Amino acid sequence: MGGSPGGPIDRGQHEVEDWERLADAINGALGAKGLQSTDELRRAIESLEHYRDLSYYERWVTATEKLLVEKGVLSSNEIDERAAEIRHRWGRQ
Amino acid sequence: MTFEPGDRVRVLPSEKPGHVRTPAYLKGKAGWIETLIGEFPNPEELAYGHSGLPERPLYKVGFRQTDLWKDYRGPAEDCLYADIYEHWLEPERGTK
Repeated sequence: MGGSPGGPIDRGQHEVEDWERLADAINGALGAKGLQSTDELRRAIESLEHYRDLSYYERWVTATEKLLVEKGVLSSNEIDERAAEIRHRWGRQ
Repeated sequence: MTFEPGDRVRVLPSEKPGHVRTPAYLKGKAGWIETLIGEFPNPEELAYGHSGLPERPLYKVGFRQTDLWKDYRGPAEDCLYADIYEHWLEPERGTK
């Protein structure tokens, strides 16, 4: 990966999960609204501490959260509160 | 534009921190200008919310795979093409 040995390539197909579609859609919407650019997302993804441990869309959503907090669009508290609310609603507290 | 198709170039071995579009495995490697792709806002600036202006020339640059990987076992004529911004290139002597 990036010119470094990355092990064997998994060429198998895999199901796209709902949250991954949503992550893609949110990214498109943020781009259309001028709140986030591809270059900013790439920069934020590259700076993730656990980059190699995250899946493709996990990188997207983690980096998007980082960017929106950085830009003052959302605060970490707002995101955590909303996540707790959703967990509660789904009975996963 | 500084470079013409066929010009020999070398990618700067810069360790510039932050977001860059130049792949690490091409830094310091020699290749040739294949074609000028166009001029675009600098992604290294766009990545931090700046305008990226003035626009920078972007070239399609060719490299021999055998020049990139010391254990490359494919045919000697195998090439790799990458989009490299002009400010990452310096002239290199010789011809393709």
